[in-house]
Amino acid sequence: MEQQAIHNYLHNFFSLNQCEIKESRQGKITVKLNEELDRLLLNRPFYWEYIKKIGQEGETATLTFISSPSMRHEEGEWIHFGSPRLHQIFNSQLAQGRYTMLYEQAGQTALNPWLVNNIMISYKGRQKKDEILSIGLHLINGTMVFNFMELLKKISFSSVIPDYSYTISPIVRIPSAFNRINNYLQHYLSEQEDDWAKEAYEHFDKEKEILNHFYESYTETASDDEKELLKERYENEVDHLEKRLLPEIQIKIINGGLFYLSETTSNQFIGK
Amino acid sequence: MDIKYQFDKQFPNELDKKLIENGPFCSFDMFQMAYETAKSLAVPNFKGLMSPNYLPHMEFLDHQLDCAKQVVEKMSGRAILADEVGLGKTIEAGLILKEYMVRGLAKKILILVPASLVNQWVKELNEKFYIPAVSQRKSYVWEQCDVVVSSIDTAKRPPHKDIVLSQKYDFIIIDEAHKLKNHKTKNYQFVNSLKKTYCLLLTATPVQNQLADIFNLVTILKPGYLGSYDEFSKTFGNKRSALKRDENLKQLVQNVMVRNRREDTGIDWTKRKIDTIWINFSEDEQSAYDDLDHELFSKDPFTSITLKREFCSSREACYLSLKKMVEQHEENNSKQEWGEQVIQKIEQLPHHAKAKKVIDIIGNSDEKFIIFTEYRATQYYLQWYLQQHGISSVPFRGGFKRGKKEWMTQLFQNHAQVLIATEAGGEGINLQFCNNMIHYDLPWNPMRLEQRIGRIHRFGQKEDVNIYYLAIRNTIDEHLISLLYEKINLFERVIGDLDDILEQLNIPNLENEIKEIFAESQSPGEARIKMENLTAAFQQNQEEGMSEDGTASNS
Repeated sequence: MEQQAIHNYLHNFFSLNQCEIKESRQGKITVKLNEELDRLLLNRPFYWEYIKKIGQEGETATLTFISSPSMRHEEGEWIHFGSPRLHQIFNSQLAQGRYTMLYEQAGQTALNPWLVNNIMISYKGRQKKDEILSIGLHLINGTMVFNFMELLKKISFSSVIPDYSYTISPIVRIPSAFNRINNYLQHYLSEQEDDWAKEAYEHFDKEKEILNHFYESYTETASDDEKELLKERYENEVDHLEKRLLPEIQIKIINGGLFYLSETTSNQFIGK
Repeated sequence: MDIKYQFDKQFPNELDKKLIENGPFCSFDMFQMAYETAKSLAVPNFKGLMSPNYLPHMEFLDHQLDCAKQVVEKMSGRAILADEVGLGKTIEAGLILKEYMVRGLAKKILILVPASLVNQWVKELNEKFYIPAVSQRKSYVWEQCDVVVSSIDTAKRPPHKDIVLSQKYDFIIIDEAHKLKNHKTKNYQFVNSLKKTYCLLLTATPVQNQLADIFNLVTILKPGYLGSYDEFSKTFGNKRSALKRDENLKQLVQNVMVRNRREDTGIDWTKRKIDTIWINFSEDEQSAYDDLDHELFSKDPFTSITLKREFCSSREACYLSLKKMVEQHEENNSKQEWGEQVIQKIEQLPHHAKAKKVIDIIGNSDEKFIIFTEYRATQYYLQWYLQQHGISSVPFRGGFKRGKKEWMTQLFQNHAQVLIATEAGGEGINLQFCNNMIHYDLPWNPMRLEQRIGRIHRFGQKEDVNIYYLAIRNTIDEHLISLLYEKINLFERVIGDLDDILEQLNIPNLENEIKEIFAESQSPGEARIKMENLTAAFQQNQEEGMSEDGTASNS
């Protein structure tokens, strides 16, 4: 994330969280936190406990973040992609934006249910990489549409059903929708190139062989007690080896929710 | 191909539950922003380093980045980092650790270092790498904290041992790993039983005495990689020169060890210009100095040595000790009387010969200088004396709070010409803008000397560094300079080798060793001979190290 992007990110984050932004110009932002964020970012539970006990509102803090190098001489906290503060904010954002249910604002119409799922796939071999998929699954006919978040960008949503609209009940139940996604992913993954996994396996096999030979050569001459110890050590090492080199794919869901989209939009997405 | 596959099981249930219970749900903006957040945190490639993006305030050197890449990409996170001293093994280790953390591969982390370095590691990891490391102070820390720094000695002792051995660590770093060279020691056994996925061993001297050292280190990382011990010694013998001569072994070791040398870093190291300045006491000063050799101290040679060292620094420093002595020995008339006499005598003295010399050096230059002295009294005196000559200075002490240290550094950088420090203790304080240093008096512990110089002669220093040593002839200074410092090139030497030499000579504390030599010698001649013996032992050790093997160490 570039420094400019960080500034924009912070601006969005604080305005979404309904904090008063006192100043925001290139590379410098000053905000008065609300209570929730004060508790989260400043970690001063005793203050809040005390304030509540004496029956007062409490004064939230005002923070200034500097994200542009040219502003560094100004008073405020220097913030960049690695700073713990930003990751605190990231984590808060990830937790807050996890589950949703939304309705398209599309006037007088029937609304179709979609399960939207943003997914992080982690491939772990000798190294690790991530891939993000955004999937929408039509809960009536089971169609899956990809890159879904891009499509949703243009649409406005509300958290309550708009007047004169009505929802169509899902036919595909949520757990079974997830099963379909899971099945799809396994298929998707089986078609990916897997050199990384082969390479990891090769290294695993090679190192395991070395390990076997090593312990065998010691076990031959060992006493019974020593054998016990060697066995334990050996199993320990195999365990490390598996963790370090056996290829693995992990699916984590970043966030997801139930979206009700108008017939028109739905058809457009499906490509009808 | 069979690849272990895990699908998120928790999320579907949670969402289902939320839908039934009707929330709480977030807005679309929140939802979208969380998605964008995850996107910016994802690591899209197997190759390359992500960690430097997280650490924009750090300037890494090429060899450090290469090392980290090599360990991550080629060695799958198990390696010996064996750079020569001063090239930043700690930085490399931090970079690698950060990379594994950023990629979500390391969460539970254990860092074992010598007790004296625990706090420094904690500080560096937090400040330089934003890794929330804590030092192990309470036993609950082992289980509750993710990144723990401890000494091996603590970790291997009950009740800690059982807790530590029951943890599954993703990542373990062991600093000064050459201490593990002997596989029969408790430390070695302990480290070998730790549960670890990734592991870094840090040492500047991977082979100290015998070839088996490297076998033992590699065996911690990859048991069997060099065969069983019998196979290994049959194939390669036990001379450490094999590591240099045997191509096979060299290749094998290179696959698990990264070693950079100063000359192959491609960095233009600025030079150290060293100038020892000899000063003569005035007649009066010399006579006062000689008076400190009094038979009163025949049973207490340390006091006499201390007084002499102080007097070589400033009469103020000496005066304080004398005064204390007079107060303490009210019942001992002769000591008290003598003390008062000497005090009277030194009160008459003109300004200290060394202080005058300092004015000569600094007065002729408009560059900045750092002066180091061992004594607080000298520090005050010098500040006053410099001011008398129109030279502005700021004081600096290890005991200052961090904020004050930074403030003094800033004053020095922007306003004052001279910084007068009593201690190098200022880790992380940046003094590279200055390239002149005066050692007003010499510490007897050469480690301290290197720490002092290290404050200005480091990466980022653009100029050659001028180092001045002030020494007074016909005093204890002269002994130290001409015997120890000059003969073994202590001034030029990098501290790491010295550390190793001391360890091999079984000298835990050089300062005490020298003190004892002076204290136990009946005459200056005897002290001289003993010092020469010590020097000879140093030189011999140094030559042996050089001739036998260049790969292992420069010691």
